[in-house]
Amino acid sequence: MRQKFPYALILPGVALLAFFFSAMWALFVISFCKADDLGFISYAFTFSQYQKFFTDPFYLAYLTRSLHVSFLSTLAVLVIGYPAAYLMVRSTSTIRVFIMVILLVHFLSSYVMRMYGIMLFIGNNGIINRFFEYSGLLESPIKMMYSELGVGIGLATGSLAFMVFSVSSVLEGIDWKVEEAALSLGATRKRVFFEIILPLSLPGVASGFIISLLYNLSSFVTPTLLGGGSFDMVSNFIYEQAIELLNYPFASSGAFVLLFISLFIVFLTNKVSEHMIKGVPK
Amino acid sequence: MNFEKEGYDLVTGFFFALTFVGLTLIVCPQIVVLVTSFNSTPELAFPPKGLSLNWYRHMMEREAFLHGMKLSLLLATLATVASLVIAFLFSLAVVRYKFFGKDLINALILSPLIIPEVVSGLALLYIFNRLQLYNTTVNLLILHVLLTLPYSVRVISATLYRFDVSLEEAALSLGADRLRTFALITVPLIRPGLISAGVFSFVVSFNNFTATMFIVTRQTTLPVEVFSYIRTENDPTVAAISSVFVILTILLILVNKKRIGARRFVGR
Repeated sequence: MRQKFPYALILPGVALLAFFFSAMWALFVISFCKADDLGFISYAFTFSQYQKFFTDPFYLAYLTRSLHVSFLSTLAVLVIGYPAAYLMVRSTSTIRVFIMVILLVHFLSSYVMRMYGIMLFIGNNGIINRFFEYSGLLESPIKMMYSELGVGIGLATGSLAFMVFSVSSVLEGIDWKVEEAALSLGATRKRVFFEIILPLSLPGVASGFIISLLYNLSSFVTPTLLGGGSFDMVSNFIYEQAIELLNYPFASSGAFVLLFISLFIVFLTNKVSEHMIKGVPK
Repeated sequence: MNFEKEGYDLVTGFFFALTFVGLTLIVCPQIVVLVTSFNSTPELAFPPKGLSLNWYRHMMEREAFLHGMKLSLLLATLATVASLVIAFLFSLAVVRYKFFGKDLINALILSPLIIPEVVSGLALLYIFNRLQLYNTTVNLLILHVLLTLPYSVRVISATLYRFDVSLEEAALSLGADRLRTFALITVPLIRPGLISAGVFSFVVSFNNFTATMFIVTRQTTLPVEVFSYIRTENDPTVAAISSVFVILTILLILVNKKRIGARRFVGR
């Protein structure tokens, strides 16, 4: 069926994309400009915004904090999310529906409200500290809010569903006869898992890792509510510079640093997972 | 796999333990929120000192929440409709035709999934200011359609790839015109895809906070209103709102368990 291509079909989508990417381009251009104290942008090609971001330890710390906490929380999400996905795919219908419904409710509810729940849960007056207080296990409350730990817990909870759904969608496509075959040939369950199932599910792990990491890296709600100013991340930097200080060039340099790191993470994860998958015999 | 029949081993036992940790982290805060919402005193004490519906009443009486809710509902509805129409036309082109730059355009339309929301929010804020476009609702609508398109395009193209074109050809050869074929054959067959794309677009738009926060002016959406309430006030009103939404979501899922199919959105 070879017809003349009806351009009208893609026109609305392409128009929207054109608008969006011209906005991105305009923002990219001003990241090489200068702004005076009143926010007026003077057009000059300079790397000074990026230079300031990377050389001033105060600004660079936004980035290192973001990378550190988002990597750790994404690893935690992987360790917790993989088993949840595995059980969701392989369990009897009751456990499966149970896990599925909990994750779906979580996934569909507002991120802001979820973080509010975490605040009530881990705060100094939160239920965890109350529990320790009543049981007499600890004398003073554990300070989880307003620290990296609290932000990490928030990020991990916030991105768990992405990981579980990514991994489970790949696990569902696995032909589980390979497991039976390996078992009947005398392999132990542990060996079957680590040498067959885990390698086969790597594409899901890779995409879950990318989605969760990018989501955590650029989080604004979590550091603001759970970090309370003492653990600001790159998004806080961008927001402050743009909205509060009206320094668009500096804000956009931070934005493009964040964007390029995100793209690099996608690229790197895909390369690593391709490499690992190549080693798996078909 | 039936764990009861085949017996447990170390790996599955370990898996159950980790899953339990994860689900605890999700469920416990929600239970705390639910219990706190019935608290009779304004401090966020747990367990509550007494029971009341004060915070539910407060939630209904606060004008800002009502206005936020109205704007959020309006935006989510418009964004969903726009996103479905644009995504359907786009997917039709991608699935059924070859054209120049197809892979690139397809990648670009999915790119808001990778571009951090602060970045897209800031970029749009900047361009709206530069072009002096100050209609908040329209600006937010553009943002929300961009953010929901990746989900709609993914689901609708997946549905269209499975679509058997010969059914349409049969209808056409039997004398139905294009419009009739579209309404009576194409739409009913892709309806499951349209429904789940619609549900997700609605939810994504309704809940969106980070990018929205850059674009809102005096008129705000519900998530933005809730966020600023959490930052400035210290009483369980947000717990009441959150509980209402979680209960609504649970009901929605239990009613439509089969139709939603969340896994389609995040997997490959």
